[in-house]
Amino acid sequence: MRTNNMLGIIFANVHDNLIPELTEKRSMASLPFGARYRLIDFTLSALTNAGVSQVGIITKENYQSLLDHIGSGREWDLDRKSGGLYILPPFVSGSSSGNIYKTHLEGLSGILNFLNRAKQEYVAVCDSDVVANIDIADMFRKHVENEADFTVAYKYGKLPRVHDKTMVFTLNEESRVEKIDYIRERINADYSLDVMIMSRRFLIDTIKEAMEKGLHSLTKDIVGTRLDKIKVMGYKVEGFAEVMDTPASYFDLNMKMLDSKVRKQLFLPERPVYTKTHDSMPAKYCIGSDVKNSLIADGCVIEGTVKNSILFRNVVVKKGAVVNNSIIMQNAVIGENAKVEYTVMDKISEISDGVEICGTKQKNALVKKGEKAK
Amino acid sequence: MKKNECVAMLLAGGQGSRLGVLTQKIAKPAVPYGGKYRIIDFPLSNCVNSGIETVGILTQYQPLELNGYIGSGKPWDLDRNGGGVHILPPYQKSKGGDWYKGTANAIYQNIHFIEKYDPEYVLVLSGDHIYKMDYSKMIKFHKKSGADCTIAVMEVPFEEASRFGIMNAREDGEIYEFEEKPANPKSNLASMGIYVFSWDKLREYLIMDEKNKESSNDFGKDVIPAMLYSNQKMMAYRFDGYWKDVGTVESLWDANLDLLNPKLDLKLDSNEWKIYSRTGWLPPQYISETAEVENSLISDGCTVKGKLDYSVLFENVTVEEGAKVEYSLIMPGAVIKKGAHVQYAIVAENVKVGENSVIGQNPQEITERDNWGIAVIGDNVKVGKNAVIKAKSMISKNVKEGEVI
Repeated sequence: MRTNNMLGIIFANVHDNLIPELTEKRSMASLPFGARYRLIDFTLSALTNAGVSQVGIITKENYQSLLDHIGSGREWDLDRKSGGLYILPPFVSGSSSGNIYKTHLEGLSGILNFLNRAKQEYVAVCDSDVVANIDIADMFRKHVENEADFTVAYKYGKLPRVHDKTMVFTLNEESRVEKIDYIRERINADYSLDVMIMSRRFLIDTIKEAMEKGLHSLTKDIVGTRLDKIKVMGYKVEGFAEVMDTPASYFDLNMKMLDSKVRKQLFLPERPVYTKTHDSMPAKYCIGSDVKNSLIADGCVIEGTVKNSILFRNVVVKKGAVVNNSIIMQNAVIGENAKVEYTVMDKISEISDGVEICGTKQKNALVKKGEKAK
Repeated sequence: MKKNECVAMLLAGGQGSRLGVLTQKIAKPAVPYGGKYRIIDFPLSNCVNSGIETVGILTQYQPLELNGYIGSGKPWDLDRNGGGVHILPPYQKSKGGDWYKGTANAIYQNIHFIEKYDPEYVLVLSGDHIYKMDYSKMIKFHKKSGADCTIAVMEVPFEEASRFGIMNAREDGEIYEFEEKPANPKSNLASMGIYVFSWDKLREYLIMDEKNKESSNDFGKDVIPAMLYSNQKMMAYRFDGYWKDVGTVESLWDANLDLLNPKLDLKLDSNEWKIYSRTGWLPPQYISETAEVENSLISDGCTVKGKLDYSVLFENVTVEEGAKVEYSLIMPGAVIKKGAHVQYAIVAENVKVGENSVIGQNPQEITERDNWGIAVIGDNVKVGKNAVIKAKSMISKNVKEGEVI
């Protein structure tokens, strides 16, 4: 059920510290992914595809690249007179003594005014570190049908790696959450994808209560302790859904896009994933190019060999160059007869002619943003 | 209303009948080009990049797809306060209404639209050429020379000059004679169909032309000769970049494959003068383990498992394993099934080319040069398995399994 009676809230900085090399100058939300996207595109598109027409993005630090990517929100149809896109940077008030928020709850308390002024009856609160195409319209319909107080999206599978602790649910036959645990071990379980629907009133009341009592977590300290009184429902996500949490998962998740079954689950004609347009020309394959099992974005110019790799927009692979098992971000250049293997090349980086950069499957090499490997 | 120095009027009403099945359901300016563009993206992007922010698009023939494509003008930054893009179809007036009788009449019927912006100059453009041009330089030239009308021209080879409208100009660029498709051309300066008029003058001549019952109300045939005849100052503005008419099947095919030429002076990849287009929100293209791709342009959403050479794939095209595509344009959404062989062909939108079918022929296979030509499959056609479609064919209906055309 598409609805414009729901407000969207996205946290842009979640677990940025887990992929430090790539988030040094950007937020998790603006992490480049899948040849032409940024991570936030998946969540933002899922919200707008569900009819949500007002979205607040809570930022914390390093949000310049995010602002550049989102702009006025026109690609997501969020350049609106009514509602639209709101970037919510940390708000330092006199009483908070200049500390930037640490927990989600603190982050939400900083936008209480925004929440109070909104007119929508419902709110969807989302993280931006999940690669999935969640049918939020369907989730909303179930939330309403179930007369739930709180609905959370979850997935069954092996818990994401190295994540501090993952929120795991015990559900009854009706998908009602009976127990919430926080687990570090990598077992198979029903774990949270951090997309939650509730009424705006519920959210505001909970934030106020937590502030009064000095509590830190919405799910742990409030929802989780009152499962008998609050109706918490689980919404199972069946298609592809993965949490980005380590440099290794950054590499693996990108490479999973080479699987046509995965792409079919993520890129649905009925729920497209929107992203900033660059108006680059189509990718150009020159004489002598040899490309196999790779995802290539617009604007690439390929004269060399590319195998098992992901090329973002406007990447140049010069004559005789070889790119194997690598992720090459926007505007990177690989010089003549150069070779890269198991490497992540960040934006506008360059590899000089004849230079070889080889990582391994276990430990990828990294060429930082703007860096030139000579 | 804010005053605009220059208003552009883009003539997009023509059928483009020489493109055959490709323009059966769409107007020529909406024909796909270069993998992700439509022809109209070029004049529209040129306008925006030249600082012209008010554009009237004159539509008449099959406007539905074109209207949808233009929408509010957002992809070209033409959703503006006071100006922007306006679709101008013929309309009913209190004393009846008319179709656009000719290019000049189309502008005549929209004099009120232009007057709303009170411009000094009107730029008249057509929607059937591929080129990048800074119109602001042409307008500057027009102002500086004190002309009433400036016509963009470019040198063409003398042997081809008789296919064009030829401007005979003095050294300083002043035109003294205009010849439409002359048998014995005196010069090789061909009109590019791009005109800058001082609005007062154009208005005067449009009204005069409308009163003339003999007139066919066409710029090239009537208005320009009339202005020349009465000694208005007409200047030729020389352009020397890439410019290509895409009015025929062959020239459309040519202009697309031109993009594969590394020396081409169009620079679609340059950031300086971008050509904007409306995109379809598609995932990146996937080139499989079994693919062989050389000399080709490929767009978002494509899946290639077969062999490609000298071809342009538009958005969302699928080329299955064992299929071979050479010297061809495959337009959005088309599927080339396993083992099919497509060569020297234009396959229009959403066509399904069946397994092991053969579309088009290599010119070397054909002894009689006149029997060769690009094979064209019209949009949404289904070509059955093992069908054979020969060179120069124009297919608008489904082709049965094994059929030979």
